[in-house]
Amino acid sequence: MIIENLVILALIAALCSADVTAFGQFMICRPIFCAPLFGWLMGDIATGLWIGMIVEMVWINAIPMGAAVPIDIASISINATFWACKYYPGIQEAAICALIFAVPFAYFYKEIDIGGRNWNIGLMRWVERGVHEGKTWRINTGLFLSLFLFILRAFIFYLIVMYLGGKVFQLIYPMMPAFVIAGFKKAWYLLPVFGFGAVLYNFKNIRIPFINR
Amino acid sequence: MFKIYGKMFFKAFFIQALWNFERLQNIGFLFVLKPFLDKVYLNPDRRKEAMIRHLGFFNTHPYMANIILAMVSNIEKEIASDKRQAAADVNFIKNAMAGPLAAIGDSFFWGTLRPVTAFLSIFLVILFARVLDPAYSWIAPLTFLFLYNFVHIPIRYWMFFISLKLDNEMLALIAKLEFKFLGDIVRYAGLLIVLTSLIFYFKIFGFGPVNINFFGTSVPDALTFCVVLILSIVFGRFSATFMFYCVVLFCILLSYLGI
Repeated sequence: MIIENLVILALIAALCSADVTAFGQFMICRPIFCAPLFGWLMGDIATGLWIGMIVEMVWINAIPMGAAVPIDIASISINATFWACKYYPGIQEAAICALIFAVPFAYFYKEIDIGGRNWNIGLMRWVERGVHEGKTWRINTGLFLSLFLFILRAFIFYLIVMYLGGKVFQLIYPMMPAFVIAGFKKAWYLLPVFGFGAVLYNFKNIRIPFINR
Repeated sequence: MFKIYGKMFFKAFFIQALWNFERLQNIGFLFVLKPFLDKVYLNPDRRKEAMIRHLGFFNTHPYMANIILAMVSNIEKEIASDKRQAAADVNFIKNAMAGPLAAIGDSFFWGTLRPVTAFLSIFLVILFARVLDPAYSWIAPLTFLFLYNFVHIPIRYWMFFISLKLDNEMLALIAKLEFKFLGDIVRYAGLLIVLTSLIFYFKIFGFGPVNINFFGTSVPDALTFCVVLILSIVFGRFSATFMFYCVVLFCILLSYLGI
């Protein structure tokens, strides 16, 4: 394990999440990158790669466009990889269980994100008033304050969810019946197939020369 | 002036940092433009007036915003030097361009480049799972990051600086560039990568000699794979999360029934 400190891991996760909208959009927030990153940090890159591949394909369309806020798939891949690699490294069934467990938290994070964007209205008005009053320094201050708060709320989210969610996951997974665990093993191989289906569905409108008019 | 433009290009990466539901990217836009306005408007009252102009609603694709930023800079420069009188033109041009450019950006970057580079990385993940040496599997995510940014950052840079130079002619250039045609080519490449990945996946995990009856004692894996693949295409219109849980439940059901 390269980094064991939860605070550092939560900070890295928050920085990855900031890439979704707040800064850059270099795509470090995409599951295909951030899940292997966490897998590597936790000493099990293979699990991270597989989780990243599944999440990337299944939620291929989840990207913020305009005012739409999709579920935070970065949090699915980061939390699932962290829990699987920390508590049950190398166990494929546990990775699928972690994935199942991580999805509701992504919806929770989406609500936090929406709340943050609503809160930004107040901050925007503060900047606006500042511009009218000639306090143009508020433009930079307001923007960096918003960025800082974005990273802070993502950091707090990851810190709590990684820790508490992990404890619950660690407790629940061994209590699963044998047939459910066997089902997770099957899902490890079948979810990428479903992912391929989801991706191919997206190509339904593609125009193929000589076939489509 | 090049230093100011460089600063603007760097600041453009923060355009969505104060994204809000009321006026979306307005403060981000002003944040990028601020060093330029500070430079061209020497009169504080006129500078303030220019800044207030940019507090209105603004939203476009974050990469394509560079074109609008460059063109608005040129207009503001003309207003500052009294070559142009109608300051209202700025917001009209901003809003008129935001929508079409957002559509191009969403379709090309989000809808084409990102998935296609991700598919290439997924193809590598499948290869590293069984065929290639897993010790080098870190190449897969880095391939995605490198390929995507290798295209996206230079395009962002080029769009900003060429728009400064070409001004209104930039729109004609974008029309000539045929983003749709370019997107189609990349999308075909993406489809080919997905189909190749699918064949490799089936070969390695579905039709291979290792797990021929993994999903059930009486059902060949290849059949299970094909059924799930077809069903996921047919029911593609349903929510991804719903379908994800359905597949997991289907797997648990298979195990429970011991088919």
